[in-house]
Amino acid sequence: MNCHDFEAAAGELAAGRLMDAAQRESAFAHTTSCSRCAARLSDERALTAGLRLVANTSVEEAPARIEATVLAAFRQNAIVPEIGHLKTTRARWIYAAASAAAIALIAALIALFASRTSESQQPELRKAINPSPTVPDAPRQAAPPQQTSPASPESVAASKPKRSTDRARNLSRSRPQPNRANRATFDAEIATDYIPLMNRELFAQMDGGQVMRVELPRSALMSFGLPMDMERASERIKADVVVGNDGLARAIRFVR
Amino acid sequence: MSAGGLAVHRQKMTLQTTSSDEDLLRRMTAGDEDAFAELYRRRQSGVYRFALQMSGSPAIAEDVTQEAFIVLIRIAERYDPARGSLAAYLYGIARNHVLRRLEQDRAFVPLADTTDDGATVPSMIVEGDPLGDLTRGERIQSLRDAILALPAHYREVVVLCELHEMSYIEAANVIGCAVGTVRSRLHRARALLVEKLRAARDRDSNSKEVKPARCFA
Repeated sequence: MNCHDFEAAAGELAAGRLMDAAQRESAFAHTTSCSRCAARLSDERALTAGLRLVANTSVEEAPARIEATVLAAFRQNAIVPEIGHLKTTRARWIYAAASAAAIALIAALIALFASRTSESQQPELRKAINPSPTVPDAPRQAAPPQQTSPASPESVAASKPKRSTDRARNLSRSRPQPNRANRATFDAEIATDYIPLMNRELFAQMDGGQVMRVELPRSALMSFGLPMDMERASERIKADVVVGNDGLARAIRFVR
Repeated sequence: MSAGGLAVHRQKMTLQTTSSDEDLLRRMTAGDEDAFAELYRRRQSGVYRFALQMSGSPAIAEDVTQEAFIVLIRIAERYDPARGSLAAYLYGIARNHVLRRLEQDRAFVPLADTTDDGATVPSMIVEGDPLGDLTRGERIQSLRDAILALPAHYREVVVLCELHEMSYIEAANVIGCAVGTVRSRLHRARALLVEKLRAARDRDSNSKEVKPARCFA
């Protein structure tokens, strides 16, 4: 071992730290032949002894007031997390309730939209399945002619109801078709079946006509045996009237 | 002492004798004040002495000790046992606060701790053999001064490895550096201390030399 190597190991050698046994023996052997390194080792040992003295005499402790302060801080901090926990728990419940309400609202909207779509796509079919008990079957057998286009007696006769289970299909076919601009309005409407206003013979003689949208007092519903909410008797209700080319009203339906 | 009181007493005795730092910390985070008090009493002395040996100021040491444990209260969940002991974690917190304080106080001229009548307060009480203890006390004080005169990065390794007898690994955990860095810094710090002590010893030996004087009697 030379002086440079000894310099690197002197501290650990004096402090008695773990080191390789061969290196330790070599370092001690070097001090016997190098007075300078021997003096360095002596200084290192003196330093180690002094540091141990300092360490052993250092018995200082923090004043008691520090303990009181940190214990007070601990108590204060122990309260804060509890409040925070309550806030967190409450917030979780609020979030859960809000989420459930939002989901329910979305589901309701979807269901409503689906039902509206179904009603607008097949209103007659729904009516056919659940016919109004107040509307007699016989009047519903009548069918109006095509809107704005003169219809031949044959076509009118062909459009006469056949009192069969395919009434819905007949009604759907006989229903006046709105143009594209008004389709949304018509799709959103719910209407009764057409109620004939004359006997079959006069209806069969109609050679053409048109459908007119009119507004009538709600009391008109009662005239045709339909139910009416008495609280809304002062209101008006829309109706489609089939008018022949002769100017006579042939049939009527009520629209909501 | 009642049976209940005896049980509590035994529980506290068990707490003091068998609970590890990690157990105390776990109970502390669950709100157990006794566990925190025990942990404080177990570790406050080391933290306080570390801060005192690093700063040389009892006021700073008190502040740092208080801050270290308050920080432990607030961020106890950040302690990871896999990365080192709780003591090293506390020393690390204390180290950061000490260095911060030293940085803040660098611009100020330190005042010596004095009593009301202006006398300097001894940093260590010496009892018994006054002459021998005075020599030893001077030696200790000179070494303490030499340590305080070291740069902070050398001072902290001396305090941790020599005065608190930490291993290189523990010191590296506290400082947040490599073990080799601790070893090299300690080596350099010891060399600086040896130089300072040798210089002080030379001054003392020169001042004690007897100079001849003429007698006019």
